[in-house]
Amino acid sequence: MAISLLNPKAEVARAAQALAVNISGAKGIQDVMKSNLGPKGTMKMLVSGAGDIKITKDGNILLHEMQIQHPTASLIARASTAQDDMTGDGTTSTVLLIGELLKQGDIYIAEGLHPRILTDGFDKAKTKALEVLDKIKIAIEPNKENLTDVCRTSLRTKVHQKLADVLTDVCVEAVLALKSQDKPVDLHMIELMQMQHKTETDTTLVKGLVLDHGSRHPDMPKRLENCYILTCNVSLEYEKSEVNSGFFYKTAEERDKMVAAEREFIDQRVKKIIELKKKVCAGNNKSFVVINQKGIDPMSLDQLAKEGIIALRRAKRRNMERLALACGGVAMNSFDDLSESVLGYAGVVYEHVLGENKYTFVEDCKNPQSVTILMKGPNKHSLDQIKDSIRDGLRAINNALEDKAVIPGAGAFEVMANKELMQWKDTIKGKSRLGVIAYAEALLIIPKVLATNSGFDVQETIVKLQEESRINPEPIGLDLVSGEPINPKDAGIFDNYIVKKQIINSCSVIASNLLLVDEVMRAGMSSLKG
Amino acid sequence: MTNTQEILTLQFGHYANFVGTHWWNLQETSFQYNSNTPSEINHDVLFREGHNSKGLVTFTPRLLLVDLKCSLKSLPTEGELYESLPDIAHYSGVNWDENKLDIRKEQKQHKNEFQQDIDNPKTLQQFSQKKYNLEDSTEVWSDYLYSRFHPRSVNIINEYQHCNKETPFDTFSLGTELWKTDFFQEDFVDKIRNYTEECDHFQGFHVLTDCTNGFAGLSSSCLEDIRDEYDRKSVLVFPTIPSFFPDNEYKTDREQVTSIMSDSTRVINLLLSFNNFKQHSNMFSPLCTSKDGWRQPGESRQFYHVNYNFKLPYHSSAILASALETITLKYRLKSNTFSTMDLYADLTANGRKAVATSICLPFSFNCDAYLIDCLDQWEGPLYQSLTPRCTIGTNRVMQHLTISGISESKIKKPYNFAGKQKDMPAYKYNSVKEMLEYYLACTTYATASHVTAVEKPLTVKPPYPDIFDKIIGSDGNVNMNPRSDNTIIESVPVLAGLHSGTELGEMLESLHSEARKLKIARFHQFTIERDEYEECLNDILTFKEEYEDSYLI
Repeated sequence: MAISLLNPKAEVARAAQALAVNISGAKGIQDVMKSNLGPKGTMKMLVSGAGDIKITKDGNILLHEMQIQHPTASLIARASTAQDDMTGDGTTSTVLLIGELLKQGDIYIAEGLHPRILTDGFDKAKTKALEVLDKIKIAIEPNKENLTDVCRTSLRTKVHQKLADVLTDVCVEAVLALKSQDKPVDLHMIELMQMQHKTETDTTLVKGLVLDHGSRHPDMPKRLENCYILTCNVSLEYEKSEVNSGFFYKTAEERDKMVAAEREFIDQRVKKIIELKKKVCAGNNKSFVVINQKGIDPMSLDQLAKEGIIALRRAKRRNMERLALACGGVAMNSFDDLSESVLGYAGVVYEHVLGENKYTFVEDCKNPQSVTILMKGPNKHSLDQIKDSIRDGLRAINNALEDKAVIPGAGAFEVMANKELMQWKDTIKGKSRLGVIAYAEALLIIPKVLATNSGFDVQETIVKLQEESRINPEPIGLDLVSGEPINPKDAGIFDNYIVKKQIINSCSVIASNLLLVDEVMRAGMSSLKG
Repeated sequence: MTNTQEILTLQFGHYANFVGTHWWNLQETSFQYNSNTPSEINHDVLFREGHNSKGLVTFTPRLLLVDLKCSLKSLPTEGELYESLPDIAHYSGVNWDENKLDIRKEQKQHKNEFQQDIDNPKTLQQFSQKKYNLEDSTEVWSDYLYSRFHPRSVNIINEYQHCNKETPFDTFSLGTELWKTDFFQEDFVDKIRNYTEECDHFQGFHVLTDCTNGFAGLSSSCLEDIRDEYDRKSVLVFPTIPSFFPDNEYKTDREQVTSIMSDSTRVINLLLSFNNFKQHSNMFSPLCTSKDGWRQPGESRQFYHVNYNFKLPYHSSAILASALETITLKYRLKSNTFSTMDLYADLTANGRKAVATSICLPFSFNCDAYLIDCLDQWEGPLYQSLTPRCTIGTNRVMQHLTISGISESKIKKPYNFAGKQKDMPAYKYNSVKEMLEYYLACTTYATASHVTAVEKPLTVKPPYPDIFDKIIGSDGNVNMNPRSDNTIIESVPVLAGLHSGTELGEMLESLHSEARKLKIARFHQFTIERDEYEECLNDILTFKEEYEDSYLI
């Protein structure tokens, strides 16, 4: 009110009207996202006006690609993508649940219930739902089987089943390769490398490192075995430091002298590498590879090539760390004390050329603590799709490792929570009970949409699930193939605990806030003076 | 050394891309294939050679550009040079079940006549001889883009949409936040690395950036990272300011409030980005075809024989691109060893990293006249400043100028026919460079001028806008009779320069005094503390003091 007095030109929507604005936004975005929930959801192909293609089923990607004009919808979108940033999954569920909470809440508000009482109920229901979640959580051993289950469940909602199974194996193996005792896994130590050829299912795990560049000298070997690896961050290129002013001329001799002195400095560094190479490779069948984060100029490359050394320049900053983990050795920042102990080892280093792009494989490492997932696909958009899903798959595994627990999937939690909330509501006094009912009802949106997307009758399925749940104390989920109730544990369908927890928390808060809005305004600044 | 010292160009923001597009067009339309005389210019400095999947050789700008979603219109992100667009109708893969695919197609973007012509091999040859009404059909820069880019060049920000008023990308802070996302931290930084890895003698960066919106923050953050990773490489920044903001033409009171707010936001962005450029670049030169730049662009600058519409970014950016093309020739010639580092040594003494850019476009004189007469009769300043709030003086200036398109025969009359020309003191000079240096020495005080002369004129064939007077002929000379409507101007002579002098201090002072009036706490979109802002103001003030001239010479 105060602002509109100060700034009478603000556009204002009040009370019921404001709520209507929010609900229409939430519904709109819910409708778009509905069809991609679950493994049977539709894949969306987005074609831009210029012909660019994006194929996805992942809610997070979709929200980033969509052009959202509605302010409430864009608020929900941002909240949902924030959910993904934290846990790597659950975007679509978040959008659906917020929309449904608003829809269910609206029914009571239309009948005259004050939004504050309703949100009180939401709050109580949320606490109870979290209790249920803790109750059905299943502690797991971080073994291959369990991690495969949770990763597969997540990936099947993002790519085709055939591809999901390939990616699941790759992701699980990658994480297990990195895992040592109880230390948390640093997912950055898994390099994701794209190669545009062959098909999606040729995606593999390389127990070593793949770099997206190769040597830049024609005489360098393309393949070496039994390699010492020198990782360094030292410039091996001549960078002139003298200036060549337009106003003050130097003679050609003066200039040449300066250049020679500078050049000498770089040559000394190259010589140090060659000395070390000669020392460690003399009289055996070992070879030598230099991987540098800084530049190496043609003259330096030439000297190294003459010694049969492969030298790579401008490696990724993060690869310095990865190389040390994959091959052993230490990344050097100067060549002052070079010795055999700083070198890493790889069984084989070879180059692969693909059109304009070169790749260097550093493989057969002794005990790689850093690995590479080599993604393949016939075109850019399928590679992007794989990359997005692999990121999510890795996150799902990592979440399971950190939680040391999973929860049964296939809508089992929602059915269970709905049942418990409906029983529990009788213990609540006053009108906030209505909020609990609305909340319990809203949770069912997840199994409902799963049923719709698989082509089953919604009412019939829900009734069946609730029936089964009443007589069976085990969590009951929906079998998307038969439409019958199943125990997700038997089918190996598991979700991340942390993801569900985040969904429950964030959805309740956002939906409550949106319901409590009784004025929406679009206003500029109240005063003209900055 | 004859080795090419490669430069990587980075373009941030829509207006910067307008300028960049003209710049690449200017270069590519001037390429001469099958020519007997080798080019004076070493195109490898800014371009790269590669080959596509079919094994065909490509020659593309060594460029990374960033723009917002929906700013490309008919241009596909990856381009079509390396791979043709995927055919949706005949697409197969293991990615989905046939009946579970939901195709959402946006309306196909219509290509304008110019784009259709250069797509078609039959009409491609003649495009430069045809008049296109690009003034009307240009909405975004890709509408008049002649160059074809490498697939990694175009980077589109998905978080913000071009011209979306609900979630505008309008503040420095949004840009610095965006830089922290994986898209930039991993993909973009990797692309920079991919380009530099290819280079044998990488020299450094050209950065063209919008500095009035969120891109100011994005490019500033990028520069910080570049400084970290490529500490000894050269970084030359050209912050660009459009000569017209549509919101300045308000009709209602409400629009007026919005416009005033936007002007203030732009001033803050300018201040924060200039402060960053001062720290992280080797040199920077703000560019705008209008006089003021801030709070509003102000009155547009007039150039002899040029009629341009300052409201069209297509026009104003062409003038800025002409200046960039000309001044950078200095270190892009095959014949010399001059590099950007040498330029900084001459111009940025005492930390004077901000410099002014100037242009004289077209540097035309009567078709039967000579350079010596032209300079003799010239009234007023030889060139116009393109740096806002900065008139280039004639007193204690360090300057580098490049003149292109004046042939040896146009310098002076041959001795036998020289007549009165012989009496002029300048007659003894035989080259364009010497004569212009002599002229500058005579018209300035305590000023050091370095001139580079290039024979090749600036190619201004379409898609360059036709902004020249009717009396300019197709070769760029001033004719007695106006040219006919269907004559295309092929090329014009041009003069452009970089200048460092006390006047830049005035520019910084004006920015400081505008920015000081704003209370940063009122601009909640900026996540910047008051102390931080005050410090930034102080830094700019200290920077300004570098230009106070009581000790030099």
